[in-house]
Amino acid sequence: MTNIPLWLIPLFPLLGTIILGAIAVATSPNKKGAPEGVVGAIAVLLPAMSFMCVAALATGMPDAGFRTTLCNWIDIPLLKVDIGFLFDGLSRIMLLFVTGIGTLITLYSIGYMHGDRGFTRFFAYINLFLFSMIVLVLSDNLMLTFLGWEGVGLCSYLLIGFWNKDLNNCKAANKAFIVNRVGDIGFLLGMLCVVTIGGSGALNYDLLNQFIQMVIAGGHVELVLPMLSLAAILFFVGCTGKSAQIPLLTWLPDAMAGPTPVSALIHAATMVTSGVYLVARMSNLFVLCPDVLNIILVVGALTAFWAAFAGLFQNDIKKVLAYSTISQLGYMFMAAGVSAFDASIFHVFTHAFFKASLFLGAGAVIHALAGEQDMRRMGGMIKKTPVTACVMIFAFLAIVGFPGFAGFWSKDLILERIFTNCNWVFTGTYLADGAVPMNKIFYITGLFTAVITAVYMGRLIIMTFFGEYRGSKESEEHIHEAPAVMLIPMVVLTFGSIFAGYLWAESMGITFFADSLAPVLGVAQAFDPAVAFSPDMVLEEFIPRVTTHVNPMVFAALGTLAALFGMFVAWKGWGKAHIQAAAKGESSAPDGYAAKWTFMWDYVHLFFVKVVKITAWLCEVVVDTVLQAFQWMLGAVATIIGDGATVFQVRKVRLQLVFSILGVALLVLVVLLTGGMV
Amino acid sequence: MLALIYFIILAVIALGAAACVLLSRHPLYGALSLVTSMIALAGIYGLIGSPFLGVVQIMVYAGAIMMLVTFVIMVLNGARDSKTPMFDRVSFFILPAVILLAGMVGFALVRSPLAFDTTALRGSVALTSKTLFDVAQTGPGYFILFEILGLLLLSAMVAAVLMAKKRLGSIETENTEDKH
Amino acid sequence: MELQPIFIQLLALAIFAIGLLVAISRRNLFFVLMGIELALNAVNLSFVGFAKTLPDAMSVAGQVVPLFTIAIAAAEACVGFAMVILIFRNRESIDADTYSDMRG
Repeated sequence: MTNIPLWLIPLFPLLGTIILGAIAVATSPNKKGAPEGVVGAIAVLLPAMSFMCVAALATGMPDAGFRTTLCNWIDIPLLKVDIGFLFDGLSRIMLLFVTGIGTLITLYSIGYMHGDRGFTRFFAYINLFLFSMIVLVLSDNLMLTFLGWEGVGLCSYLLIGFWNKDLNNCKAANKAFIVNRVGDIGFLLGMLCVVTIGGSGALNYDLLNQFIQMVIAGGHVELVLPMLSLAAILFFVGCTGKSAQIPLLTWLPDAMAGPTPVSALIHAATMVTSGVYLVARMSNLFVLCPDVLNIILVVGALTAFWAAFAGLFQNDIKKVLAYSTISQLGYMFMAAGVSAFDASIFHVFTHAFFKASLFLGAGAVIHALAGEQDMRRMGGMIKKTPVTACVMIFAFLAIVGFPGFAGFWSKDLILERIFTNCNWVFTGTYLADGAVPMNKIFYITGLFTAVITAVYMGRLIIMTFFGEYRGSKESEEHIHEAPAVMLIPMVVLTFGSIFAGYLWAESMGITFFADSLAPVLGVAQAFDPAVAFSPDMVLEEFIPRVTTHVNPMVFAALGTLAALFGMFVAWKGWGKAHIQAAAKGESSAPDGYAAKWTFMWDYVHLFFVKVVKITAWLCEVVVDTVLQAFQWMLGAVATIIGDGATVFQVRKVRLQLVFSILGVALLVLVVLLTGGMV
Repeated sequence: MLALIYFIILAVIALGAAACVLLSRHPLYGALSLVTSMIALAGIYGLIGSPFLGVVQIMVYAGAIMMLVTFVIMVLNGARDSKTPMFDRVSFFILPAVILLAGMVGFALVRSPLAFDTTALRGSVALTSKTLFDVAQTGPGYFILFEILGLLLLSAMVAAVLMAKKRLGSIETENTEDKH
Repeated sequence: MELQPIFIQLLALAIFAIGLLVAISRRNLFFVLMGIELALNAVNLSFVGFAKTLPDAMSVAGQVVPLFTIAIAAAEACVGFAMVILIFRNRESIDADTYSDMRG
């Protein structure tokens, strides 16, 4: 059915927010809150209806996609923006898994948040988040995307600090929001740059693409290139904030203070991928700035490597998964950096399934252990919670890239594209005589990170599910499998993490996923400066596209070897060894060198905070004092003049009037003398 | 010629009465002198061509306003401070100031050319009412002002009543209210 | 010699000056108010004096505006005398100098 209006898709979660918000406020004086069955039903039903709308629109969508413009939003001489929706291949994919996984996680939360006093409030926030995310993905212009961008940031804050009686949760929520905000400055300034070059119409994606094609065809790219590059780098700063890349990634591990479904939905599957979505959506702009793409590639590679290493030092199960998310996002940005935008979206897609499975499984484990999150107090859970263990093991195989599972197809695709597409040749280095081929270096980095991924994920699985149980005796009796309402979404997502990869299995000849994205991303990915620009235009930044051809089987083999090697190292390191159980009150945080590595970027943030504090001190003490002195001077002058004027005041009223008359006489004299009156 | 004679007579009366206001000791004498001056001025209005205005002056100014003044003087026993000297040091200040001001304005007036226009309209009742109440093509003109003036008079009346009201429970009330 | 418009203006000026003198140099409050009335009358006379010197359309103003001035003078006299009554209640005196409390 192609006549479903597009605005229905964000409408359902918005209705859910309003209804559930009204219920939450109305039942706030009660001790127990609204009945959970009703609230849960409403909360799951509305995203499910959104999903059905998306599914109905997705089947039989033409290549060009659907577009609607709802109404005009801003109409001032400087800026004209409409509220419009764009449903093409890219937003179709994103919407399918946002609404689908959103529905499943909402269903899971009914079981996880059972008995919590803030049950209704939680689902109101979740629906608000889904509304913001849908608006972000479905919008057809940058301004509306920014609305969704801010909305998901807000919901992230609300949901991380959901259990707001604990100060640490509130601090974590603040950190997430503020670090995101720093990135949002980049987004805003990027929009400003785009409007400066292309006018306010350039905020619309279609018009932006047309504008870029015009710039390329016009033959004077070098005129707008500095501004475009600036816009691109600013947008990427926004993406580092939202998708937790270096340097704005410190909020994501702290965000694990929120409930586990929140971590699964927001910080694994949907919100953190909005940065990757933005890069893919603006792919035409990014390919025109090869320097920025190189920066994205470097940042992605560094982040992936650093986060994987940090994941190795964590003891808290959710923190391991948080660093794993940062690392996988680094992979996605690496793919974007070599102009393989469809590969990065594919990894977003598969990552959503297996990371959500991992988080939901971790949530089930925490639920079974009544809140225990430190892996040093877990162990041997496979006997007590077999379904959860199966879910997590399948997801583990997916994330390390075991052949046949989802991660194998997507991660190896990324590594392959890095090797074949990266045409960055680093010249002028004093190490070697000639040029350094960067594609090999990035490939090796990616492969090594994959090994470490397998190591820390293997460590997680072994410490949680195998070996002896290291907790207390009484908690061991209470370990139970999660209820069905939690298990069903986990199992569905496991199916996803097993089979989702087959949508794009190039060695088997299936390129369904790539074909569906080709109308949107194809132009950007096929961009070749040698073809696009006329021969007389030589710009140093644009290197002709060169694709190295290697048999894909080589990459598949290397990826599998990396995964197996990592699993072997994990088994050797933690399989047979006796893991020390943690003492009763010991904190899960790493210490010593591990702490230095983990909190590296926090130290960088502290430096910037210090700089801001010094500036504030300067403003307060120096600037403020100067201003106050100036004010005092003005006041003193006025007081002196006033005191002088009081000399002319006399006590008798009549005498005062006489002076008035004298004054009038003086005025008349002046007018006469200057010839005012003829 | 005749107009000039009439004018001189009326002007002398007006100026003389004004001087009497200046020099009289009892306020009632001053009020009477003021009435005389106003009537003389009303005559001058009639002479110049605004008879309506002259009659209004007598009715409102000499009639109503001066009656009010006389009433208040009688109520408040205005002759109470008759022993105080009439002119003091301040008066010696004011005299040269006013003379200076009047001199300068007079000088400026005399140097400007003024002449009677033969087409000037005569201020009869018909003309005045037409000007006030005929809403002309170019706008309401004086009509709104007229209405606002009515409002002003009403508000002045209310303000005066409020201000001069006897406070309940004051000594004055006790002294003058009838005992029941 | 004919009646000239300047005579009327000079008469108005004289009456105005006398009115000012009365208002300021007399200490009795009633004389102050009467002086103000005198000055207002002088202004009216000036208006009417100018009315005859203007062509027909504009000369109407010279008759209408003094009408308004008379009405306003009536309102002002009303309120002024109410204030005199109030002041009298306060100090039991109608000498203007007893109210010289203005501080420099």
